[in-house]
Amino acid sequence: MKYLQYRWKQRLFIVLLVSITMSILMMGLELTDWAVNINQTGYSHGNNGTKPNIPPILMYVLPFIKEIILIGVPLFLTLIWIKIVNKIKRMSSHNKTKHG
Amino acid sequence: MISLSSMPVHIGTKKDNLNEQNKGKFMSDWKQNLHKTRYVMDAILLISFMLVSAPQATGIAVHEWGSLLFIIPFSIHLLLHWDWIKNSAKHLISNISARQRFNIIWDYAIYLMMLLAFVSGFLISISLFPALNIEIDIQDFWSKVHHDSATMLMPMLGIHLALNWNWIVKLSKSMSQKGD
Repeated sequence: MKYLQYRWKQRLFIVLLVSITMSILMMGLELTDWAVNINQTGYSHGNNGTKPNIPPILMYVLPFIKEIILIGVPLFLTLIWIKIVNKIKRMSSHNKTKHG
Repeated sequence: MISLSSMPVHIGTKKDNLNEQNKGKFMSDWKQNLHKTRYVMDAILLISFMLVSAPQATGIAVHEWGSLLFIIPFSIHLLLHWDWIKNSAKHLISNISARQRFNIIWDYAIYLMMLLAFVSGFLISISLFPALNIEIDIQDFWSKVHHDSATMLMPMLGIHLALNWNWIVKLSKSMSQKGD
């Protein structure tokens, strides 16, 4: 853990100072019209305390499946995107060397 | 300025090195290698993120207290990427590739989204603050912000992982090699 322990107090102080300052600034969002509108119209999500009619084991498994999909799908799509971009770059540089 | 690259590095004797090599056959030396330390800590960060992001499975109390503990691996992640953070602003205005520029902006965006999820989460706490005898007036606005920011964090994290995929694959191979 030598990399973590090296001058950790100073570095952690800076990280916390920046994060707390940013957090305090973010708390100012509740003074915006956006916040006032949402507070007036109200907000609720989920099933409001009623138990969904699914097997109990799924109650524990489904949230993790949701996370894996929400993380995994963009990950997979970005990897495909990077592969396509790299392929196009390689092809264009190959064409340049061929004709130039 | 504080820099991980300027850290004093212990250069042992030949005997020390041989002992270290032998030890390496039986256990990983991840604590002695910055990339491996990052890899292990990032794995812990990902697992703890997934655990605290599933309040329907863990329950609200575990979600809130776990989120408080989550500050530790999150801070460790930032500390282990200290040099990157320090140089990121400089890199942003220098001549770098579009992908590198996007990566830096994306990392800043994730950090801000994570802070927003933290702040909004604390402001709608129903278990953590009451246990500490702190009363707060829960606003619908913060409930919505917390739900939306926490949901947004997941695809953002997926893209973040994809942008660093080569490093993840390389380190996974390196970590799985015995005695490395």
